[in-house]
Amino acid sequence: MTLSSLVLRSMMKNIRHYYLYFFALIFSVTLYFSFITLQYNPSIMLDMSGMKPTAGFKTASVLIIFIVVFFVLYANHLFMKRRSKEIGLYQLIGMSKPLIIRLLGLENIILWTLAAGVGVGLGYLSSRLFALILMRLLEQQVVVSLTFSMQALKQSLLLCAVLLLIVIAQSILKIRRVSLLSLFNASKQADERVKRFSGFGMVLGFIGIVAIVYGYYLSTKLFDLENATVTTLVMRMIIILAATIGGTFFLFRFSVTFVLNLLRLRKKGHLSITDVLALTPIMHRMKGSAKSLTLITVLTAVALSVLSLSYIAYYSSASSAKQGVPNDYMLLNGHGVTAFTEKLEENNIAYKSITFPIIQASVDIAKLLSGNLADSGMLNTDAQTEIISLSTYNQVNADFKLLEGEGAIVNYRGLLAELLPMTSNRPALVRTDEWEEELQIVSISKDSVLSTDNMSAVVIVTDAMYERIKASIDQTKYRWHEQTGIDLLDKKQDLKRAEELYVEAGGDRVPMNNSSSGQVHYFQNMSQEQMRQFNIESMGVIIFVTAFLGLAFLLATGSILYFKQMSEAEDEVDSYTTLRKIGFSTSDLMKGIYMKQLFNFGIPLLIGLAHSFFAVKSGWLLFGTELATPLMITMGIYIVLYSVFALLTIRYYKGIIRASL
Amino acid sequence: MTILTGRKIKKVYGKKNNKQEVLKGVDLEVQEGEFVGIMGPSGSGKTTLLNVLCSIDFATEGVIEINGLKLNALKEKELAAFRREQLGFIFQDYNLLDTLTVKENILLPLSISKVTKSEADRRLLELTRLLGIQDILTKYPNEISGGQKQRTSAARALISNPSIVFADEPTGALDSKSASALLNNMESINRQKQVTIMMVTHDPVAASFCSRVLFLKDGQIYTEMYKGDKTRQAFFQEILNTQSVLGGDGYDA
Repeated sequence: MTLSSLVLRSMMKNIRHYYLYFFALIFSVTLYFSFITLQYNPSIMLDMSGMKPTAGFKTASVLIIFIVVFFVLYANHLFMKRRSKEIGLYQLIGMSKPLIIRLLGLENIILWTLAAGVGVGLGYLSSRLFALILMRLLEQQVVVSLTFSMQALKQSLLLCAVLLLIVIAQSILKIRRVSLLSLFNASKQADERVKRFSGFGMVLGFIGIVAIVYGYYLSTKLFDLENATVTTLVMRMIIILAATIGGTFFLFRFSVTFVLNLLRLRKKGHLSITDVLALTPIMHRMKGSAKSLTLITVLTAVALSVLSLSYIAYYSSASSAKQGVPNDYMLLNGHGVTAFTEKLEENNIAYKSITFPIIQASVDIAKLLSGNLADSGMLNTDAQTEIISLSTYNQVNADFKLLEGEGAIVNYRGLLAELLPMTSNRPALVRTDEWEEELQIVSISKDSVLSTDNMSAVVIVTDAMYERIKASIDQTKYRWHEQTGIDLLDKKQDLKRAEELYVEAGGDRVPMNNSSSGQVHYFQNMSQEQMRQFNIESMGVIIFVTAFLGLAFLLATGSILYFKQMSEAEDEVDSYTTLRKIGFSTSDLMKGIYMKQLFNFGIPLLIGLAHSFFAVKSGWLLFGTELATPLMITMGIYIVLYSVFALLTIRYYKGIIRASL
Repeated sequence: MTILTGRKIKKVYGKKNNKQEVLKGVDLEVQEGEFVGIMGPSGSGKTTLLNVLCSIDFATEGVIEINGLKLNALKEKELAAFRREQLGFIFQDYNLLDTLTVKENILLPLSISKVTKSEADRRLLELTRLLGIQDILTKYPNEISGGQKQRTSAARALISNPSIVFADEPTGALDSKSASALLNNMESINRQKQVTIMMVTHDPVAASFCSRVLFLKDGQIYTEMYKGDKTRQAFFQEILNTQSVLGGDGYDA
């Protein structure tokens, strides 16, 4: 038998073990190829002018390479371990190590050539799909013409070649280093025989849980600005990361065994069949798999956090536009109001308009802030603030009432409101050129009433107070004195035309006279729809790129778990044979397997979800305005895709158990 | 009372053009309380016969009845339950679960039965005392000797009070001292508790502990011998003689 026929035969025989590895290779190449194709497609890049998509794409492609390299190394490591007996046998019948290396090399070359070919083909097809998804995300309606990118082909082939070399190098190292004897025993290594559970391990297990809880607690306090500086902020982040990641490792390495051991001891030897198949193998393997489970958990958490945050940003496009521009159109200082409304009427577009006269005064909110935040110097509490009267506010909120000497705050939202929480029923100090007076603030709301370019609050006062302030401050020195909110009554039907009219009327370009130089420059005043599109365009590319990466992460973690379970199943096949011989049916055994997989896939997922939940919760305000829905959608999709790997694993076990007798 | 009856058992491996008949119509009966040995050259079908009788493998033709129950009429699940409740197994390579302690291994067959915990503990105590393994209950299989492993395996086979125990070369992996200790144990359990045992072996010494020995050759029963009132030594000599008549060809001993 020649070398090549031996290789082909062993590959055919091993196809059952290979197919997921092979599939994962193909998927990696597909992902990479279509990604690069998009990156070099001029028609796509043109549509995203203004942003810098290339930078995002480049970073992502580098990250994809990292994931793929890591994944392939790990998978090859597992496969080498599984095939140690076969390699040992080759050596036993007198093959030299270089010959075996050539054998494995040949095998890998065949595998990689196939994967590269199929991957590039699929990548070419799928890049069109990905382009469509991208354009859909960006709400662009362009026909994307795709040409076969030679550049993408070159880069993909290069990646494959490099990976192939890495894999072969890893195999060579592995074969060189080990002795014949250890090759035969390799699959037995890393199995730990649990003996008496030590008190030390118990303490460490407990520490693990405490560390995670502490990390979570700290993450909720991350942006607590009381007695905080930038350095403490960075320190906090480092501590959170260390506590959660370290805690995760301790949890897998010690806590799990600890808890399971307690359960087991309580049974005093009377184990159920599920215990035998799930509890004891997990206990005995925890030492060996703690590291990889920690890694998988952390990767899952990172992927989920990044995905959730970018989806939050994308999902919030509309609502954050609504916060920035509360009405469909907010015309400033009356500019373009007549032109715009006339045009709307000409086009028979029904609308409703509200005028907000604005004055400004200095309002000191120091007493509304809790603790020593006011003294921290992080905020100028005594700032020029926009003020509207109660009757103006009643146009949007008719039931709202204020007594004399009272005030309310609206527009206080986002990161600012989170970092500097204010408490109502405390006084704020209004200061004019002539007098100063305390105003009891009865309510603080995050609802937007005015279009404000910065996230500053807006104060509502009674009409009498409004007049008094107006009379005592020269308002001409301020830039803004009126906003006009216009809402379309039938937004669905009229929005497109109204947007055109808005631009025609010049509402988006407010001329500003620079008093000192006499020059006129324009202030860009986006409509709500313009703002939403701007948000979508800037977030669309990011969500696309992160989804791509998330998919790669998911694939890597899911496959690694699957591979691990495959080799575990093979190690345990003798036990299954014994159990079936002494009278346990396939379904009895499968009950234990379900439990085991629930643990194997469920625990890393659950902890990953918890980690990412706290990560997202602590920082989401930097990204968007909606939390619950996008977070649940992201996690839901992730869980569903992840479960596919668990189902595949269970199917694999079923086959093994069926064939075990 | 007859515990096991086999009629015209045939077993064929392979497909049409490449058939290999391993069992060519074996008839046998085992009475309650018997200790039956099956001997024969390698390739004679000893292990196949045992596997077919104990429902781990299916007979191509023929009828097998244990305790009045026809095995071919049962479905996979029923067979599994039957094995669990009615049969005990001792294998050459022990087949203990590495991740379970000795006690957990022994109690394993009771894990989905209705036997109460106190009853299970009572049986465990009795059996382990009889087999001399009461001091190693909390140890893992990799911490005990081969003889102890096989006695653990025997305890597991007996814990469910089976109608019949099947043993496939139980002494095959043991040194001679552990082997005779185990066989002494099995013999005394057979006598004291009236447990029916069927054992495949190629070792004449092991076979001499049996009350009856069947010789298998080319898939058929060649002869059978009863121990009767003979001493073990005399029975051993007889077995050796029969073995040499059968032809030393192909012996794996």
